[in-house]
Amino acid sequence: MFNFDWLSGVSQETAKMIFLSLYGLIGVLVLLLPTEYVYEGIAKEDRHWYNNLKLWSICVLAILASIYYHF
Amino acid sequence: MLAGIDYFIVIAYIIGMLLLGLYFKKYVNSSEDYFLGGKSLPFWAIGMSIVVSDIGALDFVGVSGQAYRYGVSVGNFDWVGSVPAMLLAAFIFIPYFWRGGMYTIPEYLGRRYNQKVRTIASVTWILFFALDLGVLFWASAVLLNVLMGWPIWISIISTAGVVGLYTYFGGITAVIMTDVVQFIIMFIGGFALVFLSLYEVGGWDNMVEKISTMGPEYRNHFDIIQPQDTKSPFPWTGILFGLTFVMANAYMIGNQSIVQRCLTAKNEWHAKASMIFGSALKMFIPILVLFPGLMAVVVHPGLLDGDQALPMMIKSILPPGLVGLMFAAFFAGLMSSVDSLLNSTATLFTKDIYEPFIKKGADDKHYLKVGQITTLVLLVVGVATSPISSDFPGIYVAIQTFMSYFQGPIFAILLLGIFWRRTTEWGGLSALVIGIGFAVYLNVFKEQFFTIEDPFLYISWWSFLLSFIINITVSLLTKKHTEEQLEGLVFSSKILVKNKNL
Repeated sequence: MFNFDWLSGVSQETAKMIFLSLYGLIGVLVLLLPTEYVYEGIAKEDRHWYNNLKLWSICVLAILASIYYHF
Repeated sequence: MLAGIDYFIVIAYIIGMLLLGLYFKKYVNSSEDYFLGGKSLPFWAIGMSIVVSDIGALDFVGVSGQAYRYGVSVGNFDWVGSVPAMLLAAFIFIPYFWRGGMYTIPEYLGRRYNQKVRTIASVTWILFFALDLGVLFWASAVLLNVLMGWPIWISIISTAGVVGLYTYFGGITAVIMTDVVQFIIMFIGGFALVFLSLYEVGGWDNMVEKISTMGPEYRNHFDIIQPQDTKSPFPWTGILFGLTFVMANAYMIGNQSIVQRCLTAKNEWHAKASMIFGSALKMFIPILVLFPGLMAVVVHPGLLDGDQALPMMIKSILPPGLVGLMFAAFFAGLMSSVDSLLNSTATLFTKDIYEPFIKKGADDKHYLKVGQITTLVLLVVGVATSPISSDFPGIYVAIQTFMSYFQGPIFAILLLGIFWRRTTEWGGLSALVIGIGFAVYLNVFKEQFFTIEDPFLYISWWSFLLSFIINITVSLLTKKHTEEQLEGLVFSSKILVKNKNL
């Protein structure tokens, strides 16, 4: 049990899909955050698309997912 | 040994760091300035500082060695091992700590659970950090001794003098701003090695083709996901359960030296952005530390000790000038780790031990002075204990491994503390003590329980799980906290909308 023998039947391809799904799930959760919350700390008139932290997070996750897809 | 131009680069780097660090002395007028940079720092500096503090010279050598032996799966530690955890930290934990005006993670645990939990967590971190300091001083001295020919004790005192001076006077602002320069030097030196090494092996495709035909032991060298039954320490099950779910989160959310940086941000957006920016930069770290190890398989096949891969590549690939820059990059990694340990340990001692137990209610200048004196004392302790590394060569690995065992239980009580209102002080305390004890037990009898080499990922998962269950069970059996006690300490969806005071 300690060695996760019960997961020995899962192939490397399936395992990779689990990781990719995890990134997808995190991405969805980030998108669900209220926009007001991700801008908290910035004055209303200074809020632009480039300081939207949702966008930053999605970019990071997309690059990470592509690295996993490649390897 | 280094050439003349290399000496010049290294000496200029050391003097430059000292002067830059001392420049920030003028910004330190209170304990908040010293420990939290007056809450005035921008996200980009904090993000760079998080990354460079996380990767030290010993990791450069160690990770390259592991890449030489096990291939690209080592990259999981920065890719899957950091990014999701940093996003969770950025959007959930950091805003709570930042809004609560906290200085330390144990301070949160003390408010959420009780003073005992705070003290256990803080004392454990202080002990580990203090021991680590001696090890890092010794590692710096060995580097200076081998490459510059300086005697060991002169090397130790030089490192302690330079880092100690700017940390003592400039506090965390000096630490973070010198980290920025150290980050830039590390990236320039690291990428120079990667590009020249790639040229040497004839490009990426050529390297993949050569390694793939070197024999069955290299069959999985380019698989980032290793099978569950691999003998390497990185099966996908360990990466998912031990690293992604536990260790990465514990490190990014529960490690004082990481979180303290985000608390220096000038506002909540900068605090969140620093973690996300750091996660973007972290994606480049495997390129710097992993790729040279992979390319060494082609350039220097058959090394008995994988940790020789990076030094061999530097020696055979880099021209004079760049060797000095690479050495400065190594030294930057060490200095950033040492200054982080000094400042974080001084913060933990002053805020979690001195203020509650030794002298409550003193004026702010007093605590500033205590923080500075603690930094000095730590320097002396670090220098005095550094020869231990010479007598016990495996001590660095032993300290790092034991720290990893502490992280599962810490993350369990942090997670339940912030997401479950029913968690009680006795639940947290018993989970912490029993969880650490269980991790030690699994480590002592690891041959009986585990089939992989060095099962620290599995141990962190199982100790996390036991702590989680113990916390829930004991909490349900003990008296719950009142709403007043929980105010501002437990997650509420209101934080996502408008209530800044949560």
